[in-house]
Amino acid sequence: MTITPQMLGIFTDIYGSYEAMTIGRALLIAVVGFLTVVCILALIALFIKLVAFIFSAVEKKNAKKVETIITPVENSPAPSAGNPLPEAESQGELELIGVDEPTAAMLMALVSYKTEIPLNRLIFRSIKLVEDEK
Amino acid sequence: MELITSLLAGLWESSGFALLTWQNLVMIGVAVVFLFLAIAKKFEPLLLVPIAFGILLANLPGSGVMDDVTLSQAFGGDGTFAGTGHWYESGVLRILYAGVKSSIFPCLIFLGVGAMTDFGPLLSNPISLLLGAAAQLGIYVAFIIAILLGFTPQEAASISIIGGADGPTAIWLTGKLASHLLAPIALAAYSYMALIPLIQPPIMKLLTTKKEREVKMTQLRKVSKTEKIVFPVIVLVLIALILPSVVPLLGMLMLGNLFRECGVVERLSDTAQNAMNNIVVILLGVTVGATANGESFLKVQTLGIVALGLTAFVFSTVGGVLLGKVLYVVTKGKINPLIGAAGVSAVPMAARVAQNEGRKYNPTNFLLMHAMGPNVAGVIGSAVAAGFLLLMFSN
Repeated sequence: MTITPQMLGIFTDIYGSYEAMTIGRALLIAVVGFLTVVCILALIALFIKLVAFIFSAVEKKNAKKVETIITPVENSPAPSAGNPLPEAESQGELELIGVDEPTAAMLMALVSYKTEIPLNRLIFRSIKLVEDEK
Repeated sequence: MELITSLLAGLWESSGFALLTWQNLVMIGVAVVFLFLAIAKKFEPLLLVPIAFGILLANLPGSGVMDDVTLSQAFGGDGTFAGTGHWYESGVLRILYAGVKSSIFPCLIFLGVGAMTDFGPLLSNPISLLLGAAAQLGIYVAFIIAILLGFTPQEAASISIIGGADGPTAIWLTGKLASHLLAPIALAAYSYMALIPLIQPPIMKLLTTKKEREVKMTQLRKVSKTEKIVFPVIVLVLIALILPSVVPLLGMLMLGNLFRECGVVERLSDTAQNAMNNIVVILLGVTVGATANGESFLKVQTLGIVALGLTAFVFSTVGGVLLGKVLYVVTKGKINPLIGAAGVSAVPMAARVAQNEGRKYNPTNFLLMHAMGPNVAGVIGSAVAAGFLLLMFSN
């Protein structure tokens, strides 16, 4: 069994006893203590910055890989400018290649939002993942 | 007739009335005032109610709840058995007090705090850490003044940590350096934490301009789950390698946070945040309150501790706000200096104060999440400051 040795205070190690505390030494300890806190927390801040940089770089790389093909259907018979589907309805079949349903739903919502065309006026034929994640 | 008189005299002598001292009466009054503040004014009721009741229990003469039958300290004494009884014959609160003396309670509280803390705002704005560091200024100012007033270095260190605005940290350090001051320091720390909405706003107003107080801060970056999982592990290792003395507190804080963020131990996280934390708060509060025995508490020294605690708190707020002003200039007005005041670690009270003050000057302002960054940084900062002082002055 190992026991961490009980350390005496650094102050006693240096000055022999606590009786040796003077206002000058108290000032010195206060300054060193405050700087220690600032330095340690600044180190953590730098570490967080580094981790955030790594994560954003990885995310950007992944975002480039996941390119999707979203093809609007030409000559779609049902939803058209003059004849949209009811808001809560959809029709036809959507082929998903390498993309799960939640991702597909998100992409369709994004296309709708960016093009400012309601979903009930859009039809998607397929959504395909161009390259697999490694 | 003589027998009846003797019986009545015996009954009177063993009753609390005969044993009651003026110090007991004053402390019972203090307990009633604290209960009033907690229940009627809602000042930190979760802590103040058990603490106040502990004071009440310890000052009921003849109750024996804090008696120590071993004569030497029941736990953590010199190891010799000098008393006439076994430790388990001591008063019930004396036995529970072992959790404070051994640092078990403060560390378990930190486990709960970690499980309740979202480091997201800190991770999305790491500069918050500097504000959390600056808001530890009061600790060191109070330390110097306490030395000037004639306190020993251990006592000065324990008193000054009140400026960290962190009850468990104050109890942890005082239990190790100056346990005879535990009651006044714990009471001052928790009382000032409760009084943050009264103490901080005038200082914030005094040190900032209207233009600075009106600054609206931009939306925080979204932090990924992986970042939140990595943070407690790496930060603990990093700090532990620099200041090993802080591991008991920060280790438990980060363990609790890992429970919260890893997403696979929800039951443990829930227990740490709720059931366990509540149990420990009850035990810690009552036993710390019970150390406030009238004879040992009512001294001029206690007034000095209360005044030094307030000084520490004020300078901590000043430190945070002043660095906030520096960052306001450096970032060309992107940081509202009010969030610097939240660097004292009273979570989430100090962040709420920054939010409320910000909205007074710009009703569309929403500083709460921005202030939570320095606020949780303050928890780490005060623990680091306590670790440093322990390393300097451990017995």
